[in-house]
Amino acid sequence: MSATDLLLLSLALFSLGGVAGLLLRANDRAAIGAAGFAGAAGGAVGLVAGLLALTAPAATVDLGGPFPFARLLLRLDPLSGLMVAVICGLALVASIYSLAYVREYAGRGVGAMGFFTLSFVASMVMVVTCDDAFWFIVFFEMMSLASYFLVIFDQNEEAVSAGFLYFLVAHAGSVAIMAAFFLMANAAGSFEFADFRAHRPSELVASIAFVLALLGFGAKAGMIPLHIWLPRAHPAAPSHASALMSGVMIKIGIFGVVKVGIDLLGGTVAWWGLLVLALGAISSVLGVIYALAEHDIKKLLAYHSVENIGIIMLGVGTGMIGLAEGRPLVAVLGLMAGLYHLVNHAVFKGLLFLGAGSVIYRVHTKDMEEMGGLGRTMPWTSMSFLIGALAISAIPPLNGFVSEWYTYQSLFVAALDGTFAVRFATPIAATLLALTGALAVMCFVKAYGVVFSGAPRSRHAAEATEVPAPMVIGMVLLAAACVVLGLAAPAIAPVLASAAAATLGLSTVTVADGALLMPGDGGHTVLSTPLVALLLIGLATLPALIASISSVARRAPRRGEAPWACGYVPDGHMTVSAGSFAQPIRMFFAPLYAVRRSVAAVDRAIEARFDGFVAACRRNETIFDTRLVEPVVDAAVRIGRRAQVLQSGDLRIYCLYIVAALVALLLVTLH
Amino acid sequence: MPSFAQLLVALVQVLLLAAAAPLASGCLRVLRAKMHTRHGPGVLQDYRDLVKLLKRQDVRPPAAGFAFRVMPIVMPATLLVIGMGLPILTRATPIAALGDLITTIYLFALARFFFALSGLDSGSSFAGIGASRELTLGVLVEPAMLLALFTVALLVGSTNLGDIGTAVAAGRPQAIAATLLAGIAFAFTCYIELGKLPYDMAEAEQELQEGPLTEYSGPSLALVKWSLSLKQLVVVAWFVGTFVPFGSATETTFSALAIGLLAFVVKVAVTLFAVGVVENSVARARFRLTSRHTWLGLGIASLAFVFHLAGL
Repeated sequence: MSATDLLLLSLALFSLGGVAGLLLRANDRAAIGAAGFAGAAGGAVGLVAGLLALTAPAATVDLGGPFPFARLLLRLDPLSGLMVAVICGLALVASIYSLAYVREYAGRGVGAMGFFTLSFVASMVMVVTCDDAFWFIVFFEMMSLASYFLVIFDQNEEAVSAGFLYFLVAHAGSVAIMAAFFLMANAAGSFEFADFRAHRPSELVASIAFVLALLGFGAKAGMIPLHIWLPRAHPAAPSHASALMSGVMIKIGIFGVVKVGIDLLGGTVAWWGLLVLALGAISSVLGVIYALAEHDIKKLLAYHSVENIGIIMLGVGTGMIGLAEGRPLVAVLGLMAGLYHLVNHAVFKGLLFLGAGSVIYRVHTKDMEEMGGLGRTMPWTSMSFLIGALAISAIPPLNGFVSEWYTYQSLFVAALDGTFAVRFATPIAATLLALTGALAVMCFVKAYGVVFSGAPRSRHAAEATEVPAPMVIGMVLLAAACVVLGLAAPAIAPVLASAAAATLGLSTVTVADGALLMPGDGGHTVLSTPLVALLLIGLATLPALIASISSVARRAPRRGEAPWACGYVPDGHMTVSAGSFAQPIRMFFAPLYAVRRSVAAVDRAIEARFDGFVAACRRNETIFDTRLVEPVVDAAVRIGRRAQVLQSGDLRIYCLYIVAALVALLLVTLH
Repeated sequence: MPSFAQLLVALVQVLLLAAAAPLASGCLRVLRAKMHTRHGPGVLQDYRDLVKLLKRQDVRPPAAGFAFRVMPIVMPATLLVIGMGLPILTRATPIAALGDLITTIYLFALARFFFALSGLDSGSSFAGIGASRELTLGVLVEPAMLLALFTVALLVGSTNLGDIGTAVAAGRPQAIAATLLAGIAFAFTCYIELGKLPYDMAEAEQELQEGPLTEYSGPSLALVKWSLSLKQLVVVAWFVGTFVPFGSATETTFSALAIGLLAFVVKVAVTLFAVGVVENSVARARFRLTSRHTWLGLGIASLAFVFHLAGL
């Protein structure tokens, strides 16, 4: 079977599972099973389709469709293949996880949840593969709607208000995207992307279209300052849906920027890349700064999505700069770094959200202060979460480090040459990336430490047990993927580099040789994650040996009394909490938190304006009534009143009318 | 991939570092005693401390879990890996695949991650505060460190530490002022990384009962104390190998390596002497004012970057 056949098969499986979930909604167990297994099967098939398409030339299928002006074209090229693989891979894992996790929601419409989750996944697959602006918008809207229903699934006040905000931002974004597509369609004379590529608009129109698309897709990606909805909407959804939203949906925003900026518009203008780079740097630093201040574990993870979108945008922006300045090495390295981080973030953020879901499944709260000590009672969850935390903190030799290393290298190679703006901006972006990395380490030491280490801080935390097998399998699969994407980087990086090169229309560069990773012939440097892992394990034997010899020779380690608290009896409140741990950062970076308050003020102002707008609409809605409808009605009534005078109810007068009418008719005919 | 000779050099240099680490911290203790006009213990006192600790039983707090157990193994292992990648005896990095400046910075982050996590895991409030401070210092220092190294790497055209050292030794960077300023900024950030006064924040003995070390005992404490002294040597070697590479071996012959070792010992001794003098003549900085000091570091690094842009 070809990749496109597999893609259609996986879409059919998703649709089938979704419909089955709806039909079986009376029986919770059956509905969960149908949606879960169909999702897993569709995910597995789609993953294979995406991986096949990664290295194959672009292939297009024409599905026709009911509209004469827009054919439903599906196109699998390396970029969309990568996106399909990421979406379906995470859908596979989330579906396995959902088999156990969704039982928590039994009796609250799990059939509908399955339907929305699978239509969400299917619409994402369609968005990244369809090759026509009209259908793109249709599926983009479907994706927003399906995820909206997942956000408001809990039906409490917070979820509904978060959902409403999400709904507004998503639609404001799609309006901007539509406008961008109209500008391009105007120049191309059709809605098909193939024509967009062939007939590009003038530079001014292209720039306007790009900025509109960047705003629209940036809102979907959660780029600062369009991120306000993300930390509210993602935590509100069920955890496997949060994993899909944070892991893959926001990547559709990045995909859109790459698609419009590079694929459709050709990426000919250098300041587009600089703009993406600047927004990426701001998003990464502010995202992680705000994450540090959170106590709600899912909000913390959601803010980290803002951060990682920023890091991906650093790579994509560098790639766009390279393309516009005619530096193929910078272009391929940058885009490849961005794509690599996109894949990695989907994996570790999916893992972390599933881990958070597992913890919430047992502790029944999202507040980290109520957790603690779960490492001993939930060993699988805690180890998987630790791997995810290390990966997202870009700790070598895991996957997050590899993609950040490539991001640094692409920034470095870009800074070696080129215009002053590029040589000025890229080292600053690298410095901000270093700041982001250090803050992420702090944030995930806090997240892991407060949730899994130390003593339990609540009854639920003390009584927690390991989650059911499907949830463990889901997390372990993703944890393994984090390790593989890190250690097998020398095999994976060239594939991504060729996908990036194909998207850019350039020839690929050497990014790996044997077990070594290298930034082409740019940085004259190499890295080998397998070697780092090997040496870490090898050299760990030395201290391990020392420790074991001394404990064999003497006595085994003993579990002592409570920690030392200067002679006082230690209690749970003395230990460091999520708030006090991050307090120094809140102190040192106070101005950046002030920015958030002012952004929140803008947010409130927008909300107030919106309320005002609704009120004004409500007022103005009656204009038609008072000016148009009411006068007509009044006139009709008045005429009726007049007419009533004729109808007195006297039989003789009616006879008179008949005679008068006859006479009149006779006169007319005689005449 | 490294050849056998390169691997051997890397292993020898890192084992020498590991063996000499307690000696270096012992020397610093003697220097401190002299400056306090005390007799103080001998230079070998730290070895005696370690041997004594290794004989004791390991006692763990009840809340301690996985992170607390593995930190005494992960931290020295990470520092040893970093040590293998630095240009110490030779001008070039013995293992190029480890000697990238970004890899080195992020390997330090691995050590820091577990060091801080063990503090939280112990359940002790002192250890928790120490962990928080350790990471905060990382946040404040890393950007300046990266910008300083990035600037000099841009001058040289490579992010490999050995390449940078080679170019500096040959006087290749055209912008002398930028190189000097980057060196100063890097030296300053390295000094903060050493955790010495006035920036003795995370393991502050008088303030926090040695922070994340509070609850460690016996062999674990021995391993952690050893890795902290190893960290000092590794950080100093990092600075020396990148900005003061003079004397190190340009070829892998025995005599060249011996001269390289001698030169390294002299350079480290001088650096540590300077560090000791500074450490013992200043008071502790207030933690909440640290950011002012680190802004200075970032300022110098930015200046170096601006000089590089101007080509000075």
